[in-house]
Amino acid sequence: MTTTTLYLERTSALHRLNPVTKLVALLSIILAVFAVPHWWIPLGIVAVVIVPAAVLGRVGGRLLRLFLILLLPLLVVLFLIQGLFYPDGSTVLWEWGLAQLTTEGLLFAITIGSRLTALVLGSLVFVLTTDPARLMSALTQVGMSPKIAYVISASLQIIPAFQARAQSILLAQQARGLAIVGSPLKRARALLPLLGPLILGMITDVDERSTAMEARAFGATPKPTSLIIVPDPVGERVARWLMFLSAIAVVVLVVVGVIA
Amino acid sequence: MANANAPMIELSGVGFAYEDAERFTLANLDLRIDAGTVTGIVGASGAGKTTLAKTIAGFIPLNEGGTYRGAASVAGRVLAEGTLSEAAAAVGLVTQNPFNQISGARFTVREELAFGLENRSVPRDEMERRVDEVAARLRLEPLLDRSPYALSGGQMQLVAIASMVIMQPPVLVMDEPTSQLDPAGTRLVYDVLSTLSDGGTTVVIIEHKTELLHEHCDSIAVLAGGLIVQHGTPGAVLADDRLTSWGVGETRVTTAARLARERGLLPVERALPIGVDDAVEAFSTQTGAAS
Amino acid sequence: MSGSREAHARHPFHPRGMAPHVIECKEAFMSSTTSAAVDPNRTRNRIFVGLGAAVIVATYLYLILAQPTELAEGGLGTSALIALAGYLIGAALIAVGAIHRLPTATLSLIPIAIVINIAVGQLAATLGLPVYLDSIGTVLVGVLAGPAAGAVTGALTNVIWGLTIGPIALPFAVTAVVIGVLAGYAARLGMFRRFYLAPVAGFVTGIVAALVSAPIAAFIFGGATSGGTGALVAAFQAFGNSLLASTTLQGLLSDPLDKTITFTVVVLILFALPGRLRSRFPFVRQYNVFGKVTPVAPAEPAAPKA
Repeated sequence: MTTTTLYLERTSALHRLNPVTKLVALLSIILAVFAVPHWWIPLGIVAVVIVPAAVLGRVGGRLLRLFLILLLPLLVVLFLIQGLFYPDGSTVLWEWGLAQLTTEGLLFAITIGSRLTALVLGSLVFVLTTDPARLMSALTQVGMSPKIAYVISASLQIIPAFQARAQSILLAQQARGLAIVGSPLKRARALLPLLGPLILGMITDVDERSTAMEARAFGATPKPTSLIIVPDPVGERVARWLMFLSAIAVVVLVVVGVIA
Repeated sequence: MANANAPMIELSGVGFAYEDAERFTLANLDLRIDAGTVTGIVGASGAGKTTLAKTIAGFIPLNEGGTYRGAASVAGRVLAEGTLSEAAAAVGLVTQNPFNQISGARFTVREELAFGLENRSVPRDEMERRVDEVAARLRLEPLLDRSPYALSGGQMQLVAIASMVIMQPPVLVMDEPTSQLDPAGTRLVYDVLSTLSDGGTTVVIIEHKTELLHEHCDSIAVLAGGLIVQHGTPGAVLADDRLTSWGVGETRVTTAARLARERGLLPVERALPIGVDDAVEAFSTQTGAAS
Repeated sequence: MSGSREAHARHPFHPRGMAPHVIECKEAFMSSTTSAAVDPNRTRNRIFVGLGAAVIVATYLYLILAQPTELAEGGLGTSALIALAGYLIGAALIAVGAIHRLPTATLSLIPIAIVINIAVGQLAATLGLPVYLDSIGTVLVGVLAGPAAGAVTGALTNVIWGLTIGPIALPFAVTAVVIGVLAGYAARLGMFRRFYLAPVAGFVTGIVAALVSAPIAAFIFGGATSGGTGALVAAFQAFGNSLLASTTLQGLLSDPLDKTITFTVVVLILFALPGRLRSRFPFVRQYNVFGKVTPVAPAEPAAPKA
């Protein structure tokens, strides 16, 4: 497989699960986490479900690295904004000019932050342990349009070729002395000679690409067969429904006020 | 169904101009190709060879905007009157650039090969059998589990050809199928084409390597100025004096023999040889006469 | 050749093979190659798109109208859930409904457009530009192939971002859909006929994009979508604005500028292309996206030699 996506090829029980099961689990977790108004619930799910899943899937190290790169900066910014500048804060703990550290602000920041952590880490574990090829096959098997599978698969595979092309055009420009430092306007100018050829290629190639798809009978039948079958045991199908219904139950309980 | 003597491919008075083009790319073109033959199409670049390939395959006018006239039929059916999907079932078209021919809908060569079969609802065990068969023929076995985009240009071209051959269309049209292949790969492709044509497939190849066409084709058609200006056996077409004026390169054997004739090594009245065998014969009779 | 049959060639986007300027089909960009006329899912797809649009509008209105009181009570209430679920469901419905209507010719344009979005967006970030420039491909597809194609490009771009770079962009999929749709309608309305009109369309698109994405930035990210934007949100809050008002103001500072530049770049590049390439797209011809072109009849071929 190409290295475009975040997916890590490992052997683990999590990798073996049907991708649809993992996707339903992820969506159920997100639904529950965003429904329940307590900040410790998302953190509990991160600690009890998401991190153990990452360890089980043998992607814990990468998850930690991505947490530090992607999420931690956002969390720091979040606590700075909402901790210090929360508009409805009344219990002031500390004050400096316009900045007011308030209990309400901190509570707000931790509520948002814990949900965001569960959302991002949960999604990352899903992406890290799910082969996109298998994901597309499994989703098509449960009824997703082959057109969606085509667009996603093709995009993922063309990315490396385009990045290489972009890189070489950029290098060529640097070799010709075109500045990619300096004012934003100067740097932006470096983009135009790159964009022109990319877009021209996109438009001139489209006929040939669509001819190739038509020649391969794409869309000729509403029920295509599939060379690769992703196993979907009954147990997983039952588990999917249970997870989905539990998440819905949580939402309902929150809405009617049982969980408050 | 067409009777046995009717041509498999018949174009009569076909003209085509692309949307907003200033002139017709194909002009009142006539072409007949018999079933089960291998036909080479040659012509200068810009002569309209790719347009002709798309017209034979029905993609013109079904998939391309422009002005179209005349009638083109395959196995007695006018493709322009049906749907694109019917045309695609009748004629397999391998386009020029393998990068664009790879669908991208699948992540491995194995699945890329099966993609067209999946879209025709071919059962799984038959797909597996056909994938193995075509992979063996074009020596693709070591590549089956790799991403089609991670291949070299030549490998990609073989995959593109294999993914069309596997669909077993009655007519196969290929636009410069060996442009990125090394001699071994080229030989592999032409061997497969010969086998296919022995099995009854009608093959049309656009190719500028005239040596290859001389060796493998039953007939060659020359496209110039939007018309078929010459169509006949490889021997007759490639020996035509007007060949270079149509922008088609003669074989290197012919070039060598021409130079030899200019130096008096071959008699002026003798037709120039095209293939290696002809040349050996020409020079051996010549030396035989001299001694 | 007195008896030759002459017809305007069929085009994949035109199921009945009529000339685009005589075809009376309001939705050429969504017709299908093989069987548009008998597509059994046509009604279902329309319902998906309509429902998706309704869900998005309802989500936005609910968040705008209900939010102030809930914030005053000191919590988020269900705003975050509604923002996330409503927008994701709405975007998914539109994308699914729209993609079914796209012919193969349009579909094969989309992967390249997605890659342009991502390659240029990443490059802009690497170069440290103050704008995102991550929707050039979406706008291009919207302009060349119409709103449905633009919507699909936008939605799936965010899915690809999620799979390759990180899932943070995924909640903003709805914004990408809105940008693609608006680019398509701007083109239909003739905003790409003059190079100075496109930036105006970009500016308006940017305003709508800012409004739509503000609730996501507020209730899911707490204003912290990045360092620079976070500082702006903090500043607006410090001057007494609510969270939603602050993310809206922050969006209004960056999105209209970004989309103005994006639309300008797209119109300049498209204008630099030969007209023949642009007019390949049936949507372009049907709605005269780049202005009236006098059709040129191709010159008759020379008389065939005997």
